Amino acid sequence: MDKFKQPLVPNPSGESSGHSRRTFLGGTSAAVAGSTLANSAVANTLGAGKTRPEDGPRLTGLSKLTLTVNGTKQSVEVEPRTTLLSLLRHRMDPPLTGAKEVCDRGNCGACSVLIDDQPAYSCMTLAVDLAGRSVRTVEGLGTPDDLHPVQAAFCKHDASMCGFCTPGFVVSTVACLEQEPDADSARIRDRLSGNLCRCGTYPHVFAAAEGAQQVMNAGGLDSAGDQGGKR
Amino acid sequence: MLDPTIRWKDRPDLSLLNTEHPRVDAADKVTGRARFSHDMRLPGMVYARLVMIPASRATIEKLDLSQALATPGVVLAEPAEEDKTEVRYLGDDAVVAIICGVSPEAAQDGVRAVQIEWTPADNMLISEEQISEADAPKINRRGNLRESGEKGDVDDTNKALAAADVRVSATYSVPVQHHLCLETHGCVVDYNGGDEATVYASTQAVSGNPGSFARHLGLKSSQVRVVCQNMGGGFGAKFGIGLEGALACRAARQLERPVHLMLDRKAEFLMSGNRSGSRQAMSAGANKDGRIVALDVEAHKFGGTSGGALPTPPYMYLVEEAHAKIFTVHQALDGNRAMRAPGHPQASFAMESMVDELAYGIGMDPLEFRIKNLSDATHHRQLRRAAKEIGWDLHPNRTQPGNKPLQSNQRPEGSPAAPPGDHWREGIGFGVAHWGGGGHGGAKCEVRIDPDGSVTSSCAVQDLGTGSRTYVGTIVAEELGLGLNAVKARIGDSALPPGVASGGSVTTGSVAPAVQHAALLAREALEKVLEPVLGAMPGDYTFAAGRVFVTDAPAKSLSWQEACALLGRDPLVVLGDRKGELSEGGAHGSQAVRVAVNTRTGQIKVLDMVGIQSQGLVLNRLAVKSQINGGMVGALSYALFEQRVIDADFGNSLTANMEDYKIAGTKDIPRMRPLIDDEDKRPTVSGMAECTGVPGAGAIANAVFNACGARVRHLPLTPDRVLEALKDS
Repeated sequence: MDKFKQPLVPNPSGESSGHSRRTFLGGTSAAVAGSTLANSAVANTLGAGKTRPEDGPRLTGLSKLTLTVNGTKQSVEVEPRTTLLSLLRHRMDPPLTGAKEVCDRGNCGACSVLIDDQPAYSCMTLAVDLAGRSVRTVEGLGTPDDLHPVQAAFCKHDASMCGFCTPGFVVSTVACLEQEPDADSARIRDRLSGNLCRCGTYPHVFAAAEGAQQVMNAGGLDSAGDQGGKR
Repeated sequence: MLDPTIRWKDRPDLSLLNTEHPRVDAADKVTGRARFSHDMRLPGMVYARLVMIPASRATIEKLDLSQALATPGVVLAEPAEEDKTEVRYLGDDAVVAIICGVSPEAAQDGVRAVQIEWTPADNMLISEEQISEADAPKINRRGNLRESGEKGDVDDTNKALAAADVRVSATYSVPVQHHLCLETHGCVVDYNGGDEATVYASTQAVSGNPGSFARHLGLKSSQVRVVCQNMGGGFGAKFGIGLEGALACRAARQLERPVHLMLDRKAEFLMSGNRSGSRQAMSAGANKDGRIVALDVEAHKFGGTSGGALPTPPYMYLVEEAHAKIFTVHQALDGNRAMRAPGHPQASFAMESMVDELAYGIGMDPLEFRIKNLSDATHHRQLRRAAKEIGWDLHPNRTQPGNKPLQSNQRPEGSPAAPPGDHWREGIGFGVAHWGGGGHGGAKCEVRIDPDGSVTSSCAVQDLGTGSRTYVGTIVAEELGLGLNAVKARIGDSALPPGVASGGSVTTGSVAPAVQHAALLAREALEKVLEPVLGAMPGDYTFAAGRVFVTDAPAKSLSWQEACALLGRDPLVVLGDRKGELSEGGAHGSQAVRVAVNTRTGQIKVLDMVGIQSQGLVLNRLAVKSQINGGMVGALSYALFEQRVIDADFGNSLTANMEDYKIAGTKDIPRMRPLIDDEDKRPTVSGMAECTGVPGAGAIANAVFNACGARVRHLPLTPDRVLEALKDS
């Protein structure tokens, strides 16, 4: 159990009463959390990206960094704990809400983005690690009027139902087909196995991935839909 | 007075409906533009987090929110309930405080700074032993274990059992399953004081929710607009506004600024409902001629603080003498909610398993045994087709489980095969389902044709991912001879004409007829405008390919734009009602499954699933296939992986995250064949989604037995259970 996420932890002193009842106190966790809190509380006074001597090499306060998001350079200020997902969804203007927060711990892939063309869970990536790096989100892959072949194939094959997992699947599919253009259907399933869907869209996602693969391998980056493509 | 003939076009005349077409909002969903409640960002908005005590029962000694309130960025820290001293169950009752912060991180900081002193109860009221202790507190005023229904005559059933040629007694159980909507429950309340509010809610009941939100905002229903343009799954768990909705309203009212309260994943697992578990002890008898002559069932439903769901047995199959007694077991846990065919997958797993056991018990082909004991000819036809698709006729083990790997000529061409090796066995299983889905009254739809030719179709109905937005537009486009995206569908807004709550697969049967009626009214009203120009009476026009023709004199025609220009300055607006003759319940589904079982490791690999589904007139063949797939994948996941696990001593969930609560992923998906039953030629529409999720788990369990003789009577069908069952076979 992650004590930083758990506000209520056992107080050992409660056991000393000799009763079978267990007493729990929140005080210890507040103390633990206090140090974390201090970081955000003092962030503004400490200034950007400084470390306090007593913290050793730990990063505290706000860090300024520049990264590229969907082709545009952006300067942002983030706390050490800020995830890339939170940066995208809450600190960009306009917010990039295509990547979804679903499990918030790297289980489901709904927050998938491309970092320097590698697929990554943005909920498990700290924003401070991205200085100088390039992030592509689902919004950067195509627009409704100019869909990426993967997006067009997802439309054509009805590879979304509720649509909440869809941005993550689109990103993972793009990563798969960019890096392994000849992935067979088993390999496509491997490459998409970090993404979960609850509506049960998987068969249509596979069909879309294979449809997009044909279009992309035929050099048809500009053609919408996957008709007429040849391997 | 407008009086069009109320009907759908004949199938051969359809150009949009009953075809495969993409959903109209697909491009928004694949580009990340589709905005969900989670994604709402409003000026001045704060983010709320709930504080929960991680125990099913506890005494609260102290709740100190002062440090939380002093946390930078925190703007509100309040008890969920004044002077709350007790947690009575692990669910919304375990919520003790709400914290609002200017960012999600600030709110989380506030949660960490909350100081609580609490003492767990001696008896967490989780296990059946705990709830049955002499001094156990009552979770339900009628008792923790109570009889909740009885049907049939026990003496007649026992006599019939005694006289049966073959008797089987077995107990089947299913665990509690979570809905696991990827978008958690919650809403964004846009309220800045004053007498109007808009709530962006992840809800299955847009039209039904303004009143609930209004009560908690201190407003009238008419002052609250509920909007749900997209929602990340509901599956039956998102009808009411919940404690989260009530607290969001309260916070917004106090702060007079917008509040974003979407549950975090852990709270979602703990307080947003579930599919109840069950244990069904059955004794059944069959005669050698293949009739099921007796069934006695004692069933227990596990629905936490709620009652649990289970249709009274016998489920689906004809039984000559049946007796069932149902008990409700209350635990200090989150109550069950509707979940995709409430109670039916539980009933189906037990009954399909028992039917199978009886068939093998009398040495009869389980397919033939099913057909003999099902009354509905639609199921007979569907089962034979599913059997043919899955390769039952080539299968060597039809009346007893297999004991060696299959030869390649023992399955159809193209059929996936078990992995190579001596320890893999292949088997086939079946299951059936039936569902209402005819819908009900209440839905209305407005169609508006503007003089420039643009067309809007509006209904408040939400789209859970089923494709309702698409048919709100395409039904009108079909009737007016326009293209797929020509009609703008406006949905998901309580300011629009009412929709219905999406539960029980009623949406299509309720909303589509209202849309069709509106389309017919609009068409006839436009025909009246055409009459002085083209000369034909209303009813004598054909709308096709973006033009209007006089049916008997096609040379007389106008383009759609020219026709609409005749309206002059004002738009044509009509309001359609749900006309019952356009829909009819009675969806049938039959499924067949091929699995491979490793007899050394107990691993199950589902190889092939066939689902054939009837639903009358299909509005979008592609979306219906998605729904059939969805039902089958859900059942596969239920069968093999899912179960909520509660620690009875600590009264807490061990599976309140997506790491420990496993669902099916890409590598678990077999070849899937969603088949639309086109022999159902009824001129009516019907909901069908819930039907598709019912039979799969039983079919998979039956296929496991057919493969290797392991009869696993408890879900999920884990490898250890398979190995244990193999020892008994």
